[in-house]
Amino acid sequence: MAKAPSLSNATALRDETVLRRVRQLGSARDGLREWRSQRLTAIALIPLGLYFAASILWLAKSDQATAAAWLSSPVPALLVILFVLAGFAHALIGLRSVFLDYVHTRARLLAAELLVRAAALILAGASVLAVLKLFLGR
Amino acid sequence: MQRPLSPFMFPVWYRFQISSALSILHRLTGIALAVGSILLAWWLVSVAAGGEAFAATHAVIASPVGMLLLFGWSVAFFYHLCNGVRHLVWDAGYGFELHHAHLSGYAVLAATALLTALTWLYVFLA
Repeated sequence: MAKAPSLSNATALRDETVLRRVRQLGSARDGLREWRSQRLTAIALIPLGLYFAASILWLAKSDQATAAAWLSSPVPALLVILFVLAGFAHALIGLRSVFLDYVHTRARLLAAELLVRAAALILAGASVLAVLKLFLGR
Repeated sequence: MQRPLSPFMFPVWYRFQISSALSILHRLTGIALAVGSILLAWWLVSVAAGGEAFAATHAVIASPVGMLLLFGWSVAFFYHLCNGVRHLVWDAGYGFELHHAHLSGYAVLAATALLTALTWLYVFLA
């Protein structure tokens, strides 16, 4: 079946990767780096996620002051920031692989990726700022 | 001829298999957790803001719908965590025998149920 020239580069924002492929320097994309950072963030998220879940459970019946005091101490502040950063990095890779499987046009794929990236940056930024505000303002 | 496409073959065209069911569940819970991260950011911001913002967030979380969302979030979290460990074990090169893969699948389901049950027992009893 005749097809339009290669969709396989659909997610590359730069064209230098195409040159790499033409020169037979291997894959034009960066699957291995993504694959690896998905695993690394997954490993980090095991202790960080368990810590966060246990903390939320411990805070379940407490008021705002207790939660704020918890978030403003150094160790919880650091661990929650790390949890948020690792979590959003992990989520971005995962969502991207879902899009790659189910979104089949280049424009929609790019739109979906930009939208999710923007949302993740805003949410992660807001979360980190919230923790920093409590930590610095204690 | 209209052939069914891959992700939508599962319930109708394919026989049920624990392996494929858990695989698609891993994705679905991953997506759910990503959406749930909005709640995480919202909660952190409302703790930092304090006052009325926190009270409003707390009211939403403590409402029946909020509790249902939290319950769903906890199931998704524990499932994705346990099955994620299963995937990491595979990545390390272990557990590929079919009966091992099935066994670890049931173990993941059991662990998810146990962790979720313990969590909510703690919430309601402690």
